[in-house]
Amino acid sequence: MIRSPSNSVLVTLMLAALLTLLAVDVATLQPNRIVAGEGYSLRAIMGLDGLLLSLLPFMFATWLAWFANARRYVVIVVILLVYWVSWPWGMSLFAQAMIEPGQQAARVGIGPGLWVLLFLLLLMVLEVQTRLGMPHLGRWLLWSAILVSVAVPFWSGVLNDLALVREYQGNADDFAAALQYHTLLVGAVVVISLTLAVAMALAMRSHDGLKRSVFAILSVIQTIPSLALFGLLLAPLAWLSSQFPLLADLGVQGIGWAPAALALIGYSLLPMTRNTYVALDSIDPNVTEAARGMGMSRWQVFFHVRLPLALPVIVEGIRITSVQAIGLAAVAALIGAGGLGTFVFQGLGQAAMDLVLLGAVPIIVMAVLVDMALSGLAAVCRRGVANAEP
Amino acid sequence: MQNHDTPTIALDGVTKRFGDECAVDDITLAVNHGELCVLVGTSGCGKSTTLRMINRLIEHSDGQIRIEGQQIRSFDPDQLRRRIGYAIQSTGLFPHWSVSRNIGLVPRLLKWPPDRIAARVSELMAMLDLDPETFSDKYPAQLSGGQAQRVGVARALAADPDVLLMDEPFGALDPITRESLQDELLHLQGQLKKTIVFVTHDMDEALKLADRIVVMRAGHIVQQGKPADLLARPADSFVESLLGGRDLGLKHASLVPVAMRMSALNGECLPDDESVLDTDSLRDALSVMLWRDTFRLLVRDVNGNPIGILHWRDAIRGDDA
Ligand SMILES: Nc1ncnc2c1ncn2[C@@H]1O[C@H](COP(=O)(O)OP(=O)(O)OP(=O)(O)O)[C@@H](O)[C@H]1O
Ligand SMILES: [Mg+2]
Repeated sequence: MIRSPSNSVLVTLMLAALLTLLAVDVATLQPNRIVAGEGYSLRAIMGLDGLLLSLLPFMFATWLAWFANARRYVVIVVILLVYWVSWPWGMSLFAQAMIEPGQQAARVGIGPGLWVLLFLLLLMVLEVQTRLGMPHLGRWLLWSAILVSVAVPFWSGVLNDLALVREYQGNADDFAAALQYHTLLVGAVVVISLTLAVAMALAMRSHDGLKRSVFAILSVIQTIPSLALFGLLLAPLAWLSSQFPLLADLGVQGIGWAPAALALIGYSLLPMTRNTYVALDSIDPNVTEAARGMGMSRWQVFFHVRLPLALPVIVEGIRITSVQAIGLAAVAALIGAGGLGTFVFQGLGQAAMDLVLLGAVPIIVMAVLVDMALSGLAAVCRRGVANAEP
Repeated sequence: MQNHDTPTIALDGVTKRFGDECAVDDITLAVNHGELCVLVGTSGCGKSTTLRMINRLIEHSDGQIRIEGQQIRSFDPDQLRRRIGYAIQSTGLFPHWSVSRNIGLVPRLLKWPPDRIAARVSELMAMLDLDPETFSDKYPAQLSGGQAQRVGVARALAADPDVLLMDEPFGALDPITRESLQDELLHLQGQLKKTIVFVTHDMDEALKLADRIVVMRAGHIVQQGKPADLLARPADSFVESLLGGRDLGLKHASLVPVAMRMSALNGECLPDDESVLDTDSLRDALSVMLWRDTFRLLVRDVNGNPIGILHWRDAIRGDDA
């Protein structure tokens, strides 16, 4: 008889999750916004029987992971999803039980144990997904389900007593504006740096000397810490805006969006230019020679041959750049650039951790979504070319 | 109207300089309609440069190049190239396009209607022995070297150009595949009567395919003529060594069919396995004689009927050359 191989990664993750649920507080109760909450362990909330009962499916999943095969992985992922779907509703029940009707300011929070569990759950789903060799479409469906199952209770009001939601409600308008601003800033940075990168890559291909100096400059920019770069841009931009009233009217100042956008473009240029250059440079010269020899015009060669062959690597560059810019744009809030980072720094200033989360969680979600979308796009582009590679 | 007096391709005092270096130096060459002209010479002597000047992938520095009497500079380069087939050793097939799309490239550039392109692509695939069912939707990376080269040739022929330029198209193939593609090219050429300029390193290939061989050396044309003439009267020791040195006799024998030297059967009885076809070359016959250790061979026609006998004396000293 063939013994199913045990998946030690999964088993380890699951044991860690079990231990966390047994030992670490999963929820907090705060009388108001600022005061530190009181922690509650799962056992304190559910009692010993409830604790064991709620962990039973998880132990079953651990046993399945020990004797894993394809069908058992499917069962495991279902169990993981059940836990994932049920935590907001559990939180809601906890809030109803603990907060009495009169207590306007009281709120519940996600405890450290639950954060760890959620993180471990996502890692486990990732592991199972690779083991099952899920196709792209399947992955998309899975992660959409994961996102929707959390988004629904958040928007439906079930979690109104959660501190994070309270912070959101207190800042709803600001949040929408910050989200839009963050997206716009990152989008503009990516579009501009892509345009510049393509132009530079094309220029570098025709002028050999240019190549080394451009990459040298871009690498130096890359090594400057982000806050220092913002600082470096402060003086020249302030001077520019004082010299040219038109620029000042446009909002170009030493602080604000202008230095943030410039710095983000500076950071984006290296990965974007490098990928674009490598993509265009690695195309077989025989192919372009044949294309010219068949009577394709320069434009046709570029759009029908060079670009499609280079596209997967260029999209990869866009992906790296976008994810990096989404994170860096948060830091830009420090120089008044706005965006989701504003909540992070406000929250730090007010010692209101849930306000920090209001900024941090959407940034992470945005980065993950963009990463997935662009990896998918790169894979689609590569399919046409991949047939090509021997 | 085709005027058969003006050569299809005419190079007149053509020179190409790269900086100070003279890659092609004052060459004059005329290729007539339906002629298969092979350029040979050592590496770096300017064969590819000459070829690429004809379709303006390289602009010539001096002299004149005419196609059907008209200066190539009077055409738009892209339009000119669409009228000239071009096949290269590395095939240069587009890796992200299927075989049928690759073949239909030039017709698409010429804006043929889609159904005409599809019909033409199937016709070409049949012509080059590529089963459309199997190959239409394959990608170049899924093809063997020989198949890819067939696609490359099909692509060059797609818009039915009068002129075909081929730069070592079979250079990267194994001898057997190469030979079968050579046979096919000869067969196609028999039907299509294109004007072809063909570059090769392989002297046997040159002798087999050429109506005319042009020997180049360091940017100059050293000698040109029919294969048999070149073999009979090489202009100098360079041409002689290029043509094969001490192999010259055998190379020459490879151009002569057995039918030209055989004599009639007169009741002699010869062993069955000591036979050749009347279309085989004298070189093949001599090889069989050496191998079989015999002086005489039975000659059969394609249907296997004995039609004559070949004596080694006749093979070695004919009166035709
Ligand atoms: N684009 C170019 N720039 C500078 N020199 C070139 C260029 N193309 C060819 N040459 C030079 O011109 C000469 C002839 O080159 P060409 O490619 O025509 O040789 P070839 O006869 O085709 O050789 P091979 O048999 O190796 O293909 C060589 O000395 C080569 O270095
Ligand atoms: Mg060459």
